[in-house]
Amino acid sequence: MIKKKMIISQETMDVDFVRKVEALAGTSVRRCFQCGKCSAGCPMATFMEHPPNRIMRLLQLGQWQRVLAGRSIWYCVSCETCTTRCPNTVDLASIMDALRKLSWDSDGASKESYVQLANKLFLQNIRTYGRQYEMRLAAVFNVKSGQFLKDLMLGPKLIAKGKLKMFHSKNKNISEIEKIFTRIEEMRKKGDAL
Amino acid sequence: MGKPLNYSYYPGCSLHASASEYDLSTRELFNVLGIGLTEVPDWFCCGATPAHNVDELLSLALCAKNLELADKVEGDMAVACASCFSRLKTAQHVLGVSDVKRTQVEKAIDAPVKLDSNVKHLLEILAKDLGLERLAAAVNKPLSGLKVACYYGCLLTRPSDVPNLDCAEAPTIMEKVIEAVGAETVAWTHRLECCGANFTLSRPGVVIQLTNAVLESAKAAGADCIMVGCPLCHGNLDIRQKEIEGVYNTSYGLPVFYLTQLIGISVGLGADKLGLDAMMVNPMPLLKEKGLL
Repeated sequence: MIKKKMIISQETMDVDFVRKVEALAGTSVRRCFQCGKCSAGCPMATFMEHPPNRIMRLLQLGQWQRVLAGRSIWYCVSCETCTTRCPNTVDLASIMDALRKLSWDSDGASKESYVQLANKLFLQNIRTYGRQYEMRLAAVFNVKSGQFLKDLMLGPKLIAKGKLKMFHSKNKNISEIEKIFTRIEEMRKKGDAL
Repeated sequence: MGKPLNYSYYPGCSLHASASEYDLSTRELFNVLGIGLTEVPDWFCCGATPAHNVDELLSLALCAKNLELADKVEGDMAVACASCFSRLKTAQHVLGVSDVKRTQVEKAIDAPVKLDSNVKHLLEILAKDLGLERLAAAVNKPLSGLKVACYYGCLLTRPSDVPNLDCAEAPTIMEKVIEAVGAETVAWTHRLECCGANFTLSRPGVVIQLTNAVLESAKAAGADCIMVGCPLCHGNLDIRQKEIEGVYNTSYGLPVFYLTQLIGISVGLGADKLGLDAMMVNPMPLLKEKGLL
């Protein structure tokens, strides 16, 4: 987290970034008038250094580096309470998605490694198998995060209850999913999508 | 009897693994109620939270692809998982209001997007399409004396303009459905609070804290059990309950049922047809005490 004093000036305000966030999220950052309802209802606010309403204020002031430098956006659990309660219809949950995407793309300093790792493995599984396989997801996550013993006692119980499948198959139409991933990558290369 | 009800069924990934009892009890219950379910052929993962968290376009494209696949099966789309339900409804909403995103998604899936299909959560089918009267008429073992805490969690009702299942802040659909089959419901504070959802993998400490608050609230309200309509809520409340009891040095002992399991009991389905043995918190003592099994 950047501790130094915040100076608001033409030089430190990056409004282009905020416009990108607004385009991705399909909502307005400027509409927020700091009532704080989003932070009051946020179940994760206590884990964040910038609660949701402060993230909005920092964005309005063009101080996005401060937002991405922190872990707040990776602690948002996408419960949609903020979006539901905003009196100015700011879709804050989508703004969080947009910020995570921009941080993810820029390989930014704010990477909360475990959350990122879980997301990455989840998407890899979809690309490879077409569906999610929880056993594989959990096992690979533990190995890659170095937490070999995490939930170790839970695994055998879940298998006994039939809740974790040891084997899985690929979708028959798996080539279609690869095409979707590839087309999106191509669109981004050509600049047709953010 | 009204016209026959038939749906294209989208179970979602969890129902083929950690929530297999939700899948089983859904199929068995709908069979008894005479509601037809045909599984969407070769459905894909909806992308869930990880996809929209870092790549909205991918999330929208995966959902649009599933809507296209579901279109091949007759009937509205029946969705069991609250997260899949939320993603599919969000995709329809976003693609309906943004021409830019719709064009991008159509390019990504190389097909026109289907926005007119009705995506319905199981609750909606039971409460509205079948109707509470017909549901009540199918009951042969009313859940009388069972105090149920209905847990909505996040995605069944939020945000207000997307799922359109019920009011986002004061929903009653779960209570109505379970009261129709004879159960009592309790008023409690945490029915709409988040359980921590998919942080169960990456940040279990957060889940333990949030889920404990939910369990504590249900217990304080005098509930015998909790009813859910989401595999992630179920995973956190049921699978992690023992661990949470250890961390907070307390005892809840609250069985966590899927809505289809509880309703299944009321229409006379046996434990083996509802996957009750898959629950981590054993529901048998409670059900025997109430004379339900």
